[in-house]
Amino acid sequence: MKSLALRKTLAAAGISLAALLANHGASLAQEAVFVIATNEVGAPTYNPIKASNLNIATTLLFDRLVSQDADLSFHPWLAESWEEAPDGMSWIFHLKKGVKFHNGEPFNAETIAKWLELFKASENAYMTKAIAKVEVIDDATVKFVMSNPEPNLLYNFSSSYLSIIEPKSFVELGDNYGVTEVYGTGPFKLESFVVGQETVLVRNDDYAWASPLAKNRGPAKIAKLTLREIAEDSTAFLELKSGGVDMLLGVPTDFLTEIKAQDNLEVLTLPGQDVAYMPINVTKEPFTDIKVREAAAKAINQKEILDSVYGGVGEVANTFLISALPEADIDAKYKISYDPDRSNALLDEAGWAKGADGIRAKDGKPLKVSLWTQSDSSFRRLTEVVQAELKAVGIDSEITTFDSSSIRDQYKSGNQQLAIRSYNWDNADIIDWFFGGDRLGYPNVSMFNDPKAEELRAKAMTGSKNMAERIQNFKAYHEYVLSQFPMAPIYQPVTSVSYNKDRLVLPAEIHAPSVGATVIMDIEVKE
Amino acid sequence: MLAYAIRRILMLVPVFLAVSVIIFLILHLLPGDPIDNLLKVGAPVEQRTEMMARYGLDRPLPVQYAIWLGKLLTGDLGTAIVARRPVADLIGQALPHSLALGGLALLFSSVVGILLGFVAALNRDRFLDRAIMGGVLLGSTLPSFWLGLLLILAFSVQLGWFPVSGARSWSSLVLPVLTIGLGGTALVARITRVSMIDVASRDFVMLLHAKGLSPLRIQLRHVLRHALIPVVTILALRIGWILGGAVTVEVVFARPGLGTLLIKALNQHDYPVVQASLLMLAMAVMLGTLFGDLLQAAMDPRVRGALA
Repeated sequence: MKSLALRKTLAAAGISLAALLANHGASLAQEAVFVIATNEVGAPTYNPIKASNLNIATTLLFDRLVSQDADLSFHPWLAESWEEAPDGMSWIFHLKKGVKFHNGEPFNAETIAKWLELFKASENAYMTKAIAKVEVIDDATVKFVMSNPEPNLLYNFSSSYLSIIEPKSFVELGDNYGVTEVYGTGPFKLESFVVGQETVLVRNDDYAWASPLAKNRGPAKIAKLTLREIAEDSTAFLELKSGGVDMLLGVPTDFLTEIKAQDNLEVLTLPGQDVAYMPINVTKEPFTDIKVREAAAKAINQKEILDSVYGGVGEVANTFLISALPEADIDAKYKISYDPDRSNALLDEAGWAKGADGIRAKDGKPLKVSLWTQSDSSFRRLTEVVQAELKAVGIDSEITTFDSSSIRDQYKSGNQQLAIRSYNWDNADIIDWFFGGDRLGYPNVSMFNDPKAEELRAKAMTGSKNMAERIQNFKAYHEYVLSQFPMAPIYQPVTSVSYNKDRLVLPAEIHAPSVGATVIMDIEVKE
Repeated sequence: MLAYAIRRILMLVPVFLAVSVIIFLILHLLPGDPIDNLLKVGAPVEQRTEMMARYGLDRPLPVQYAIWLGKLLTGDLGTAIVARRPVADLIGQALPHSLALGGLALLFSSVVGILLGFVAALNRDRFLDRAIMGGVLLGSTLPSFWLGLLLILAFSVQLGWFPVSGARSWSSLVLPVLTIGLGGTALVARITRVSMIDVASRDFVMLLHAKGLSPLRIQLRHVLRHALIPVVTILALRIGWILGGAVTVEVVFARPGLGTLLIKALNQHDYPVVQASLLMLAMAVMLGTLFGDLLQAAMDPRVRGALA
């Protein structure tokens, strides 16, 4: 009798214990560990107003007014819809109702007014500079009165620097906002943050206002997300391989074959936001002659570089912009592609005759130029191939390598002739940044200062009333800049994300330019 | 002894000032400035001058130095320009990790190095001596990032004993400590061995043998004690190196630390952070030397006598 009772108790204890363990297992299964991209390592704060660099966790802690699809088109998020006045001088945003910050404060039109007021202290304040006045119409409607038309406003509102902060705690916490505590409306709340190490996020169970680009309308499927910072790519790869982490948000091309060889790992490729190019200094002999510039630009074999240097991963670049941008869709005659015959003909025409050693010369002077690059090994490799391709048409170039932190200052001297570099940006205003006549040296490495270009630039930057006009104006500016050959486009890399498919299920279609809140909302952890 | 200690400490003041001038100048004479890292695509041109003024970078260098030193003496390390955090916070976060890693690695290389050196000296020119010296030579010539990756492959990926990277638990310290420690072991072992052999040929050792003491006792109590004086000097000098020199290992094992902080700040030209980290490292070297000198004086009355 006694033993039966004991057995019963034991059984009961066993079953409940098993249930407890099973439960524990389930909660474990909803946890995931991601490694952030190496260029985001070391971001010191999640304060979008103060920070100069932000990592992916910012997109999970905060929401924005506008979201962006993979094709770079704009979609609602915390703003349900918007209207732009025909003259571009005012915008009305209709906000989503029922949105709450992590600390319980409501999100409404008043929040927008206070937030934009605080944003004026930011070094990125130029992003909202065109907004002269914020008028609160009702709780869910806000009107921006503009000082000048700003068709780029939607792009700015989709940037992580314009993540919507909770104004009250922002003021109260001061410098600690974004470090020890942070309150946004995003799908995840901050649990802990150690700079350069890891950020632990927990799910915001109240979340029901994801961007319509995400399938999931409720809270995120991952309950606890740890974002680790690993600066060394090999270490990150070994972590993924040994199951220590579930996803790498940035994988260098060199590792792709190794990853594809693993059964449990999968690679997701997204369009990149980088363009590698060769600026040509238009103020230095022999490149003061547009024929020599064109010849140098057309000597570069983009396809060969894509195949031999990058193993065919990515895309060739024929314009200055990433091809996803509408402003990159220009008249084919302005696109710059490999054309060795044209190169040779132009150099002959310009008076540079081929010598016995294959190097061209004019008036006894050989066609010898400098080719600058930075010390990172990927740049070195690319530069050596470019050097060989220039030589094929008779241009002798000498490579000079600078440390990547000091090369910008070297550019400011204006002594460069050719250089190999790359940029990362997904808006057409990058043309203004790199070819504006008032930024000679750096960022305008090409020292390009052309009156017609300046006219088109001003029109593109400030003379457009709406997006369609802006695209037209930027296309014209882009086409003109290309026609002057201040640079040669080379290559557009892709962004590769790698994950453990035994652990994670990714959405079938990616509706975002990069893996951020929209994608992570739909990621499931396998039980 | 006390007077000697006080004199040694006072001597640090001019050294500190000289070091601070050098650190400040080297950094500001380097091409480049932090503003380039702050300006975003699309920022208007005037913003540059505005920001230079905001951080006081438009003032003459001597004025900037005076302001920095003045604040430093009151314990204010300033605010990072690019990182936007108080520098003291950034260093406060990195330092414990560096101290743990550096301290344990120093301990490992001292204990293992002295032990190996001792064993090698006892077996001078025999097989064991050759094997140990060959082994440590190999260990010291392996680049630390490579050794680190090899250790990860062996112990984390294959055997699964330790985590690949991170600083979340004590077990994650094992591989980085081994990586740095193995490099230092070679130096310590070689110096211990050479110095033991040197001391063993002195007259007083002969006398001890003549007195009939057991050879092991002579080696342990007398020879090793004398032989440790140069070893202690070397170890003290390595304190500063171990704090800042672990950069590659910190990067490979994704650990935070002074080295990584310094490299990151150097790339961004974040002056206040670089200045403060370099100053920390310089102080570590200075204090390490001081500590070594004091220890040597405590161990060797002749040093005290010479300075008194």
